[in-house]
Order: sequence, then C-alpha cells, then structure tokens
Amino acid sequence: MDPDFEMKTIRSINDEDIVSVLGHRNPGESYKSVHPPLDEMDFDDDLMKDLVEPIPGAKEGGRTRYVQFADSMYNAPAHPYDRARTYMSRFRGVDTGTLSGRQVIEIRELDLEKISKTLLETEFFDPAKTGLRGATVHGHSLRLDENGLMFDALQRYVYDEETGKVSYVKDQVGRPLDTPVDVGEPLDEEHLKEITTIYRSDNVGMREDKEALEAVLTIHEARTDGGYGLGVFKNDLKAKLGDDK
Amino acid sequence: MEQIKAIDVRIFPHRRLKPETTEKILSELLDLEGVLRFLVNGESLPNVVGYGPARGTSVNHPDRKIITVKGKEVELLVSVGEIVVTIRHENLEDFVEKTKAILEETLNFGFDVGVGVFTRTKTTVSDHLKIGYGIEDDIDPSLIGLVDPKTNSKETVKLIGD
Repeated sequence: MDPDFEMKTIRSINDEDIVSVLGHRNPGESYKSVHPPLDEMDFDDDLMKDLVEPIPGAKEGGRTRYVQFADSMYNAPAHPYDRARTYMSRFRGVDTGTLSGRQVIEIRELDLEKISKTLLETEFFDPAKTGLRGATVHGHSLRLDENGLMFDALQRYVYDEETGKVSYVKDQVGRPLDTPVDVGEPLDEEHLKEITTIYRSDNVGMREDKEALEAVLTIHEARTDGGYGLGVFKNDLKAKLGDDK
Repeated sequence: MEQIKAIDVRIFPHRRLKPETTEKILSELLDLEGVLRFLVNGESLPNVVGYGPARGTSVNHPDRKIITVKGKEVELLVSVGEIVVTIRHENLEDFVEKTKAILEETLNFGFDVGVGVFTRTKTTVSDHLKIGYGIEDDIDPSLIGLVDPKTNSKETVKLIGD
C-alpha cells in the first residue's frame, strides 16, 4: 500500500503478451482514440487544467479500458480492498471498483498496459491464486484444485504438470489466444502464507478465534459510535441547552 | 416394493479433484460391498461461454472429461468437490473404514468423511410446483434426491453395474 515501498519483480512477461492477455487490442495495433490529443483541442480557460498534469493516455485521447483480478481466499498475495488502496496510492488517473472476490481498474489504455505490467510482474501476482478475469470471475471462495489452482469455469490458465508452470491459453474474457502466455511458476504455499494480506484460519469456531472477535468488536463499536454520532449529539444538545460552558 | 435401510456417506476432499483421481476413487468405491448409488457434486462447468465478449466460444475445460467407471463412460459435468455415496445400512462401518483407506492412499491432501443423510429423501413442494402432483408415482424412488427432477436425467444419471 505504501507507494514508496518497492515491490519485488519476480517474473518478466513481454509487453506483447500482456497486450494479448488483456484482449483490448491486437499486439502491434495502434491505440484507438475517443477524442483528439489534448494539445489540439480548444478549451476555455480553466485553472484546474493548468494545475493538473494529464496522464499520458489522456493526453493522447486514448480509450478507457480495464483489467480485472480475482484473488483466491486461499492466501492470494493481495485481496480486493488492499488492491483498491494500493491502486489509489500508487497510480494516477485510475478508477477502481471493489467487489468481494475481484477488483477492477479502469484507466486509459496506454497507462493500463504499464500498470498491468507492474501488477503482473511483481509479487502482487501469483499465477495460481490470482486470476486475470474480465468476465465469469467466480472461484475466489472455492477450494483449490489438486495442483493448487483457483477454480475458473473458463479455464483461462492451465498448469503444466511437467514443467510446473502456469500459462494463459485464453485472454481476460475467455477468447482463445494464438500462443499461450507463460506466467511462470506458482509461488510456494508457505511463502504465500507469509506475504498474504488475507486473514484466514480454517476449521476454527468464530468464538474460539480471539483475534477475529477483537476485530469484529472494534468494527462494531466504531460503527455504532460513528453511526449514531453519540458524542456529537451529546455536545450539540448541550450547546442548545446552553450547557456547554 | 421392498424397503431397505440406506444411509449416505459424504466424501469431502480439501481440494477439487481431477477427473483421473475421481475415476480412480469411484472405481475402487464401486468394488466395496453395499454401494447403492453415487452423487458426484461440484461446481458446474459450462460447455460454452455464457456471457461476455467471448459468448458462444467453447470452453474445453480440462476437468470436463469423460471418465470410465467399470467400463461405462460417464461425462463429468462438474469440477468434483464432493462425492455422496448411498450405501446399505448394514455395510456402514466396514464401508467407512475402507473408504478412508482408499482416500488416504490416493489423495495427498486432507479430506473429511461424514455419515448422515446428505440427499433428499422425499419429493418437495418445489418438485410439485415444477412438474405437478403425482410425481411420486412416476419417479423411480431411487432417483429422489439424486437429481433435480427438472433436469434431463439421461445426461445426469448413469447406470453402472447391475
């Protein structure tokens, strides 16, 4: 989450492969635009436009496109809420949406590809427990398969039992790719347990789990206090009654 | 019809099973005594992509395979997550013991084996709503709880053995 923290790059995927997995344009194809470059457009004087430097994609007038990740509950390196905060603190000009099992980023296509590269090549991504999914995302809460892969009804990525590597055979939404994209070996499960941001423990009753109880109670208290505004109302009432001196 | 005492045994592996493993487990379980029927359950796998830009393209899921159990071909429509076996009550203890032994041998991860009633034993109100009253007279009682009465049982039910 800390934007100054440098994430370890653990694999390298070439740009063209990322473009083909995203599936928004063919590799080598030029970016489609929705408006002319900003330099060529006439605007009324606006102080805000001088203050804010547009991101490269916006300058060029590129389309807004998306990338979406699903994170398995079984110790994926990141989880949706974390992703949202990270995206906000690290990248400019993103619109991100959080759902229980998946997280989408929308941004101009040019910038999207750079961001996707960062997200795919660093420890943010695990080939087995994280999935690049545009549609039919279901699977984050299901048991893993025998090779440790998260369920995917469209099976966009497959595990090669001989090489131990995972490769994408379909793009984000399930269209077959011409050449499979190798995304490397899944991370070690012990290592994932250490780096994951997900709190989970299996087969433990809620009442036996002290840490979880504490967290739930804290949230409950904070929500109740905040929601009813107990302190605020009291002070406000006192002020109205002239009792606040 | 002669009444028998039957009970369900539920096998719940901690990982989703590959078709090959399912095939192996099913074949070995079928050899045990007192087995009446199997319910292979799990997350269903589509044949074609249902929605999104890739709608209509075929999925070719590696888990949706045709497996051979006792010489009969069975198409797996799901990614196998649990297997419920209905057995004769008198074979229960022996069966559970042997099942555990088989699973320990074939699986390299954890599993749970539970005994109880895990399938429906009676037709329900929604069954009546779906296909109308009188369904009890039409349906083979051994199929109750095994399939959704509305599905095409030709696809989902396979008769193996005698």
